[in-house]
Amino acid sequence: MAEQNDILEEHISSEYKYGFSSDIETETAPPGLSEDIVRFISAKKNEPKWMLDYRLKAYRHWQTMEEPRHWPLLKYPEINFQNIIYYAAPKQKPELKDLSEVDPELLATFEKLGISLEEQKRLTGVQSNIAIDAVIDSVSVKTTFKEVLAEKGIIFCSFSEAVQEHPELIKKYMGSVVPYTDNFYAALNAAVFSDGSFCYIPKGVRCPMELSTYFRINTSGTGQFERTLIVADEGSYVSYLEGCTAPMRDENQLHAAVVEIVSHKNAEVKYSTVQNWYPGDKNGKGGIYNFVTKRGICLEENSKISWTQVETGSSITWKYPSVILKGDNSVGEFYSVAVTNNYQQADTGTKMTHIGKNTRSTIISKGISAGHSNNSYRGLVRINKGAKNARNFSQCDSLLMSDKCGAHTFPYIEIKDKTAIVEHEATTSKIGEDQIFYCKQRGIDTEKAIGLIVNGYCKEVFNQLPMEFAVEAQKLLAVSLEGSVG
Amino acid sequence: MITAEKISSTDKLVSDFEAVKKTLPGNSFVQSIRQKAIESFSALGIPARENEEYKYSNVQKLFSEAVTLSVVEMTLSKISIDKYLIPNLDAHIIVLINGFLSEELSLLKNLEKSVVVSSLQKAFEKHSEFIERHFSTCADINSDAFIALNTAYASDGVFINVPDNTVVEKPIHIINIIAAKESTFFFPRNLFVVGKSAQVQLVETFETHDLPVKAISTSVTEIAINENAKVQYYRLQNDCGNGQQINTVSASQQKNSHFDTNTVTLSGGWVRNNLNIALNGENCESHLNGLFITSDTQHVDNHTLVDHRKPHCESNQTYKGILDGKSTGIFNGKIFVQRDAQKTNAYQSSKNILLSDDATINAKPQLEIYADDVKCSHGSSTGKIDEDALFYLRARGLGIESARKLLLHAFVNDVMQTIRINALRDYLETLIHKKLGE
Repeated sequence: MAEQNDILEEHISSEYKYGFSSDIETETAPPGLSEDIVRFISAKKNEPKWMLDYRLKAYRHWQTMEEPRHWPLLKYPEINFQNIIYYAAPKQKPELKDLSEVDPELLATFEKLGISLEEQKRLTGVQSNIAIDAVIDSVSVKTTFKEVLAEKGIIFCSFSEAVQEHPELIKKYMGSVVPYTDNFYAALNAAVFSDGSFCYIPKGVRCPMELSTYFRINTSGTGQFERTLIVADEGSYVSYLEGCTAPMRDENQLHAAVVEIVSHKNAEVKYSTVQNWYPGDKNGKGGIYNFVTKRGICLEENSKISWTQVETGSSITWKYPSVILKGDNSVGEFYSVAVTNNYQQADTGTKMTHIGKNTRSTIISKGISAGHSNNSYRGLVRINKGAKNARNFSQCDSLLMSDKCGAHTFPYIEIKDKTAIVEHEATTSKIGEDQIFYCKQRGIDTEKAIGLIVNGYCKEVFNQLPMEFAVEAQKLLAVSLEGSVG
Repeated sequence: MITAEKISSTDKLVSDFEAVKKTLPGNSFVQSIRQKAIESFSALGIPARENEEYKYSNVQKLFSEAVTLSVVEMTLSKISIDKYLIPNLDAHIIVLINGFLSEELSLLKNLEKSVVVSSLQKAFEKHSEFIERHFSTCADINSDAFIALNTAYASDGVFINVPDNTVVEKPIHIINIIAAKESTFFFPRNLFVVGKSAQVQLVETFETHDLPVKAISTSVTEIAINENAKVQYYRLQNDCGNGQQINTVSASQQKNSHFDTNTVTLSGGWVRNNLNIALNGENCESHLNGLFITSDTQHVDNHTLVDHRKPHCESNQTYKGILDGKSTGIFNGKIFVQRDAQKTNAYQSSKNILLSDDATINAKPQLEIYADDVKCSHGSSTGKIDEDALFYLRARGLGIESARKLLLHAFVNDVMQTIRINALRDYLETLIHKKLGE
């Protein structure tokens, strides 16, 4: 036990390695939220009038809404929405032609994060590379591989660029999955979103590389509100990755993003997230408040949307990546590993809404709680009337690694069709001492044994991640957790 | 006598309380609890849909129609209880009419002498030491609006005290009969105290007699189970469609005690069952079983909360539902394991079959766990009758209807097997047979 405690000590004190902040010149709006700020953001982005009108409608609706306080199992102080800076952008020269024009400080930042934009550029043509859209303080700074993708007809650019260049697509799809009336944070996002990524895969195209957005909050006192829209047209396929980090600060910063996915007939979208926002220090000070609305719709037959998430960061996570299974035979998947340590709180899960016939959904959720944290799975499986032969399987396991943390499961199952088959199972337990003993007997020390067991426990989810991410996820898990058995 | 007040809102219920509180039974101790309870109700209010605990049960709709408040016993023409008896069940009979104990109709022959059975009103006077020790201790007035409301208005019910080391040989059958000519609101309140190493079997049935209108009954039953005691508690709800019930059973278990409960709902228009069990001592065991078979526009909501407060306890829940017609079934169970409750084993299962396209099932099995050395799991599944099994039986010469019935009987069998009073089980079997045959 003593030995375990030492390891625990060692690992809990392991530092958040993305906690640096970069000295990039930024342009910020004054803190506070009003119609003027909404207009200011819109003007900054040179947006057409319809976009501004949309933002204003959302802002007015947001004012009538209440924070979702009563149902999530989360405790946090009042958020003063007037204290937040709603717009911060790295100062940059317009129309970057090549990387040499990019602020060198910015490039250094991405080097440190392990995403070298330059490297990526040079690697063009090499197999299994990733196109990256990098977003700092809610403004897209650089998108790589655009030309290569354009050859195939794939549009992958920042959201603001898409508003300018592809207004017909934005008008058609934006808000079609997550309307601004959806919830408090979605409305807020619709009013003040500053940038994000847009991706369109044309008919019959299989995207040749992984598309990725890298989010970074840098400026102090800002909130990040980005918006991602992915449209997969008939018969197309795309795998999309999202990563995020933030500097270590004593204050709590707000991140309220919206992700919308539209999957047409026979199309498939795979969306993977490794969420590693700054989780706060070991006394629970600081950290990101992560309130995210992610939803996809399988619009037509045989379409598929798959969410995979590894949640290790943020002091508060409120996130329910969902799938609306509208088309017949469509498939929704949700694979999640959520790890909380110290004073982190997570209330996360999914919503699967079955509308079409023969729709299938799978939910695999693995929660790991350590320290004083609370980790909740909250998921909805809804089978509407007329969703004949709908099928759902959910498995939600929780692992407790200390006697001061909490692990909770709140599934909501609503069934209105008699042909549906829905199964839900959940277990809560700690790492078996006999498992550790077994490993130790065979010469594997406690630390490695725990790593082994936890990795095994999460394997079903890690298997769903693209290779590059799976490696990162395993390492992350090690940093956040290893040895936390008390 | 009925107070001819019309009820529609929280405020109305609070102000009505002021008017009737002088007529309500109980000494100053009880009165002060009533006062606290109405204050709590006033703060909590009739739960709205946004309230997670009432997400699937619209209670506000229930209160939208005007009803009369009943806090005083109604005079009724003589009722014969023969048709409410369970065939072949040799039991002590207690009859409650609209929540008021009817001594005339109750039959307590050969009851162990030390066992006290009395109306709650009388108990307020005669057994004040038990009342002061146990009244409003199991059911927390701050946890639920209807517990608060009932505690404030509680007019009568039955008080049972089984002293230490007493084994009640025969089951005690409590027959609840609701009878009213106009829409009425009732507040039955029961208190059962089971002493150390005592044993008792309780059967409660809920019936309606001559109820042409809708009646709402918000009952609260508190059960204090002391060390080493063993309690079996069966509830059978089989009233007519006009009965609307919000029932709360709150039990508190001490060390080494054993509590088995079965809630079977076959009929009844709108039923909400709250079952709260607090495990306040080590080595407790609780079994919560439930079965609901619904049809037409029935609404049955089963809510359970097992609060593990001490180590080494075990709880087990099995709820099964068969839903037909346009009925709605809800299972909302929560296992709550507090920080101290290490070595807890808790299990929860909710299984449902939908027979009709218009029926709805909402299941919300929840785990809220704050201790690490525990084994907790839950499962929930919903489906239709297994086509393969049906085919198997039909290939062996069974008609589709008999095959279906056989499979449904098999589905409910594991809940039925937990009923340990043979006469009661046989009676239930016939009721279920009838219900499924419809």
